Amino acid sequence: MGHGDKGRPSKKLKFSAKEITQLDDEDAYFGGEDIDDDVRDGEGKKRDFTKLELKPDHINRPLWACADGRIFLETFSPLYKQAYDFLIAIAEPVCRPESMHEYNLTPHSLYAAVSVGLETETIISVLNKLSKTKLPKEMIDFIHGSTANYGKVKLVLKKNRYFVESPFPEVLKTLLKDEVISKSRIISEGSRGSDGFTISKTMGEIGAGPSDLLNEAELAAAAEEKETHAFEVDPTQVENVKERCLPNALNYPMLEEYDFRNDTVNPDLDMELKPQAQPRPYQEKSLSKMFGNGRARSGIIVLPCGAGKSLVGVSAASRIRKSCLCLATNAVSVDQWAFQFKLWSTIRDEQICRFTSDSKERFRGNAGVVVTTYNMVAFGGKRSEESEKIIEEIRNREWGLLLMDEVHVVPAQMFRKVISLTKSHCKLGLTATLVREDERITDLNFLIGPKLYEANWLDLVKGGFIANVQCAEVWCPMTKEFFAQYLKKENSKKKQALYVMNPNKFRACEFLIRFHEQQRGDKIIVFADNLFALVEYAMKLRKPMIYGATSHVERTKILEAFKTSRDVNTIFLSKVGDNSIDIPEANVIIQISSHAGSRRQEAQRLGRILRAKGKLQDRMAGGKEEYNAFFYSLVSMDTQEMYYSTKRQQFLIDQGYSFKVITGLPPPDSGPELNYHSLDDQLALLTKVLSAGDEAVGLEQLEEDADDIALHKARRFGGSMSAMSGANGMVYMEYSTGRHKLGKGQMKSKPKDPAKRHHLFKRRFG
Amino acid sequence: MPQVRIIAKNFMDMVAALPAMKLDKLYENAFICEAILRSLPPLAKKYVLQMLCIEVPVTAKSMEEWVLPDGVSKHRVAIDRLIQLRIFTETVDRKRETTYTLNPIFQTNLKKLLLYGVVLPREPMPSNVTVRLPSSEDLEAFALEQWECFLLQLINSSQIERPSNISSSMMKIFQRGLLSQRDKEAPRLTESGFQFLLMDTNAQLWYIIREYISNSEERGVDSADLISFLLELSFHVTGEAYNINTLTEVQKNTIKDLADLGLVKLQQGRKDSWFIPTRLATNLSVSLTDSSSRKQGFVVVETNFRLYAYSTSKLHCEILRLFSRVEYQLPNLIVGAITKESLYSAFENGITADQIISFLQQNAHPRVAERVPSVPENVTDQIRLWETDLNRVEMTPAYHYDGFPSRDLFEGASDFARGYNALLWEDPEDSKKMSLVVKAENHVHMREYLSRQRQ
Repeated sequence: MGHGDKGRPSKKLKFSAKEITQLDDEDAYFGGEDIDDDVRDGEGKKRDFTKLELKPDHINRPLWACADGRIFLETFSPLYKQAYDFLIAIAEPVCRPESMHEYNLTPHSLYAAVSVGLETETIISVLNKLSKTKLPKEMIDFIHGSTANYGKVKLVLKKNRYFVESPFPEVLKTLLKDEVISKSRIISEGSRGSDGFTISKTMGEIGAGPSDLLNEAELAAAAEEKETHAFEVDPTQVENVKERCLPNALNYPMLEEYDFRNDTVNPDLDMELKPQAQPRPYQEKSLSKMFGNGRARSGIIVLPCGAGKSLVGVSAASRIRKSCLCLATNAVSVDQWAFQFKLWSTIRDEQICRFTSDSKERFRGNAGVVVTTYNMVAFGGKRSEESEKIIEEIRNREWGLLLMDEVHVVPAQMFRKVISLTKSHCKLGLTATLVREDERITDLNFLIGPKLYEANWLDLVKGGFIANVQCAEVWCPMTKEFFAQYLKKENSKKKQALYVMNPNKFRACEFLIRFHEQQRGDKIIVFADNLFALVEYAMKLRKPMIYGATSHVERTKILEAFKTSRDVNTIFLSKVGDNSIDIPEANVIIQISSHAGSRRQEAQRLGRILRAKGKLQDRMAGGKEEYNAFFYSLVSMDTQEMYYSTKRQQFLIDQGYSFKVITGLPPPDSGPELNYHSLDDQLALLTKVLSAGDEAVGLEQLEEDADDIALHKARRFGGSMSAMSGANGMVYMEYSTGRHKLGKGQMKSKPKDPAKRHHLFKRRFG
Repeated sequence: MPQVRIIAKNFMDMVAALPAMKLDKLYENAFICEAILRSLPPLAKKYVLQMLCIEVPVTAKSMEEWVLPDGVSKHRVAIDRLIQLRIFTETVDRKRETTYTLNPIFQTNLKKLLLYGVVLPREPMPSNVTVRLPSSEDLEAFALEQWECFLLQLINSSQIERPSNISSSMMKIFQRGLLSQRDKEAPRLTESGFQFLLMDTNAQLWYIIREYISNSEERGVDSADLISFLLELSFHVTGEAYNINTLTEVQKNTIKDLADLGLVKLQQGRKDSWFIPTRLATNLSVSLTDSSSRKQGFVVVETNFRLYAYSTSKLHCEILRLFSRVEYQLPNLIVGAITKESLYSAFENGITADQIISFLQQNAHPRVAERVPSVPENVTDQIRLWETDLNRVEMTPAYHYDGFPSRDLFEGASDFARGYNALLWEDPEDSKKMSLVVKAENHVHMREYLSRQRQ
C-alpha cells in the first residue's frame, strides 16, 4: 500500500447522495477512514472563476472569494491581521500554512458569525472590501440565505425569568404562531407595545466586529444601544420552546445568553483570577467573543493543546462568578482541572471539589465548583448511595457555567444526556481539534453553541506561545523475514503486529530514544496503540509504561517519576495517553503504532508536547532555538502504515506543519549496541510475534471504566464532517481488529440518507 | 532517468552545423560575421582580430606560444570553435606541421565592417509615416500573448481562444517529437513534449526556431538565407517600425510566420505596411546561457502541497496541470495541489522530479523566492521520494528452470549457478518443488551444464 493523497480535495461533492453511496464501500475497506480522499474529484471538480471581475486596486486587497464559498487569503497582505480576525469569525479554516490560507464559508460558520453579533450586511460589506474581485452573486445570496434566520432570536435568562428576545418583532410574531410556544408564553402585566412585547435596550456589541474595517458611521451604529423586543416563557417549558425553534421545526435556532450580572437568584461564587494569571492575547480574544456584549454566550473555543485552554476555562468561570460544573474525560484530568482552578483563581479549597469514583467530595457553602467526568454524570447504572446523593445535587442545582473539556471526544449521546441532566445558564466547550464524525455533529452547534473562536497554530508558534515542533516521518524498511510474513494471507490479523515489531523500526526507536536522552537531555513519550508492541518495546528497553489496565495510583506514580526523576526520561503510553494527560515536561514524541488514519489522534498526540518550554524570547520567531520539540512517527515501508500515516498528518499539515521524511535510521554504521542487530534475534522476535494469539497482537481494547470514557463504546460513523469542526472533512473512525466485522456491518446499516442530512446542508447542497 | 532529448541549442551551434558551402555563403553577410564574432569565446575573438590582417597561414606552434601554459585548455576550446564555424581552416602540410588560415570571405567582410561600418538593409521608418506604434509594454504583452497562443495550439490544448495563422502543416512539423498520435486517439504529449513545456521561453523559442530552420528546405527556403535573415533581424531595434517592402518575397513570407510566433508585430498604414521587432526577435542571437532577462516568478508552494500560481495565463495552467491537480481558477490566481497521483502521471509521461522541482524553484513567487528553500523542503523531498519509489524494482532478465529429475541434479545446478554468481532464487530446502531462477546471461552455461549432467 502506498502513500495516500497528500492533496486536499474540495468538499462539496461529498454531500451528494451518489458520492456517499460510493464512499460506503470504500469506508468498509479502509476502516471508514477517508471520506474526502478523492481521486475521483480531481480535474472534474476544478472550478473556473476566471470570469470574476478584478478590482483595479486588487493588489492591496487580501482575499479572493469564490462562488462555492471557498476563500483564499494572502497572509503577507498588510491587511492580513484584520482579515484573519474577520474570516475566522465568519468562515471555517480549511488550511492555514504560511503564505496562503483557505477558508470555507458554511452555514454553520455564518451561524457562528451571526451569534457573535455580526450582521448580514456587515459581513457582506466587509467581505466585499477585502476581496480582490467583486463578490460573486452566489456568495452574497448564500450569506443572505444562511443568516436570514440565525441569530435573530435569543433565549435570555434574566433574574431567573426566561425571555425570548429579538430585535425583530415580526420574528417573535412568527414564533408565537406556533402552538407550543404560544402556550408557554407568560403574559406579564407591565408589557407595553402593540404586540405586547417588552421593549428594552441592550448593549451593542463590543469588540466583536472587525472594527478597523468598518467606517466610523458603521462603528457608531454597532456601539449604539439596540432596541429589542421580548416575551417571557414559562421556565418549565423552556426545553420545549428551544426544541421548536431548532432547524428541523421553525428554524429560528435560539442563541443562549446569560445575563449573569443581573442574576440575583443564584448565589455568587467568590472567586477571581489571581493577579499573576495574565491571559495571553488570543485567550483574551476568545474570552471577548464569549463575553462580547456583557452577557455570557454559549459556544465552543478551539485552541491547540498546550495553548492554555484551562486558563480560558478558569477565566470564564471567574467572570461569571456563579457555580460551575466542569466536565473532563477521565480522573487524571479531573485532578488536573481542580489543580488549575486553584492555580489560577482565588477559589478556596472548600469551594472546589472533585467527584470521581475514587474521590467523592462536596463543596461547602451555597456556590462552588465541581469537577467530574462525563461518565460520572451520564452513568446510567446503579450508583453507591454517596454518589447518588452528589449526583442529585448536581442535577438539582442551577449552574452558572457548564465547562466541558475535550468536547471532540465525547459521544454525542453522552452530550445529550449530560446536557439534559444538568441545568446550566451557559455552556462553554473547549477543544484542540474539533473533529467529530458522528451523525450528530451538526447538533453540537445547537447543543453547546457555535464555535466562538479558533486560534491559528502557526501564529501561536510564531508568538512563542506553543512549542515549535519539528515533525518527522521515519521510514523504516521492513526486514526481509518480517515482510515475507506480512504478505502471507494467513497472517492477515497479525499485519499490524508485524509492521510495528519490524526490527528496523525497533532499532530506529531505540536510536532516537538514546539520541534524545543522551545528547539533548530530553523527556520522551513513546506512543503505541498496539498493546503487544507496547509491552515488548517497554520491556526490552526497560522503560515504564502506562496502558488501560494501569491503575490510577500507578499512573500517577509513573507520571510523577517522569516529571521529577532524572532517571526516568522515557515513558511508553498506550492510547490512554492520547487525551488530556498533562505532561508538560515531555518534548519528544516517538509514535511507533497508531490508530489507523485518525487525524485527531495525531493532533492530540502532538499536543502532548506543544506546551512551550524554555524562555519566551528563545521561542519567538527568530529566537535562539529553531525547534524545541520533536515529533517522530515511525512507519514501516511498504505496509498499510505508510498509507495511514499520510492520512493522519492531514490535520496538522493543514495547520501549517510539515513532516520531514527521514530515511536511513538508525544510521547504517550502528551495530549491536542497538537491540535486534543479529538475524537470530530478529528471527526470535518474529517467532514470538507469530506464536502470539491473534487477539494478543491486536489493538488495545479499553475496558469500560467508570472514569474513562471508553473510546470504543462510541461508535463513530464516517459521515459528512460538519462544517463547524474547523477541520472540514476529517474523519475519525474507531478501528479495532476484534470488532471490525461488527463495525463494518454497522457502517453499512447506516446509510447516509441525504434526506436525513442536516437541513442546513440540504438547503445548500440539495 | 529518461534521457533529456531536447537540447535547446544555441543559434551558433546551429550555424556551426551547417554544411561548408552554406557557411561560406552565410559569411557573405557582414551582419552574420559580426554576430558570429560576438558569439565567440573571448580567446577566439582575440585570435580572429589578431589574424584579421594576416593573409598567410599561421602555424599552430606559434599560436600556442601566445598563451600561458595554464591557458592551454581555453586555447583548445577557442581553436575548436573556430574550426567548427569554418572561420579557421586547418591544414597539415607535408612536414606534418599544422597551420591555420582565416576564412577569406569572413576576413574580407569583417574587415570591411570594421573599416567602413555597414548599415542595415533598411532604416526605421520615420514617425510621421507610422501611426499608433505600440508602447513597449504593449509590444511585450503582444509578444507573450502570441507566443502563449502558439504554444497552446502546439500542445493541442482545448483552451485556445483563437487559433494562430500558422498553417497546420507547419504546426505538424513543430509538433513532431512533442506530440504523438496513436491511431484514433487524441494526440498526446510525448516525454519531450512535457519537458519542452517546462523549459523557459527562451529555450522553447530556440527549439521552435531550430525546427523552423531545419525544415526550411521543405518549404523551398534556403536555410542559410533564413539564418542570415533571422540574425539580421536581431540587429533591428525593438519597437521601431521597418518597412515590409524592403524585404524579399521569401522574407515577407517568413515575417508572417514570425509574427505568429510573436517575434514581430505587423501593422498596416495607409500606404505602407511595416513590422516591429519584439524582444523575442532581438534576443535571438543572444546565447541561452546569458538570458539575463529572468521573468518574475509566480508560484507559491506551501508545506501542505498546495500550489498557488499568480497568473492569468492559460498556458501556465496547462503546465501546472502536467504535475498537479488544478482545483480553482480565479482571475489572477490558479490553485492546485501536488498529489501523488498527479505526480505519478507526470513521471509516467517522462517528466522527472528534478524538472518539476527546478520549474517550481525557478518560477517561485518573489514573496517566497527569498526564502530558503523557496519550495518547502518536505515537498521537494516528497516529490523525489515518490520518484525513487517508482524505481525501486530492478529488472534482471532471467531464466526459470524446473522439473529437475532428482534432488542431486537440482542442488548441483544451483551450486553451479551460484559459482557464476548468477543464482537469483531457488526453492527453499524444505519445499518439495525444485526450481531455480538464473540470470539470463548465464543461460548458455546452465544449458551446457545441464546437458552434461544428463549424459
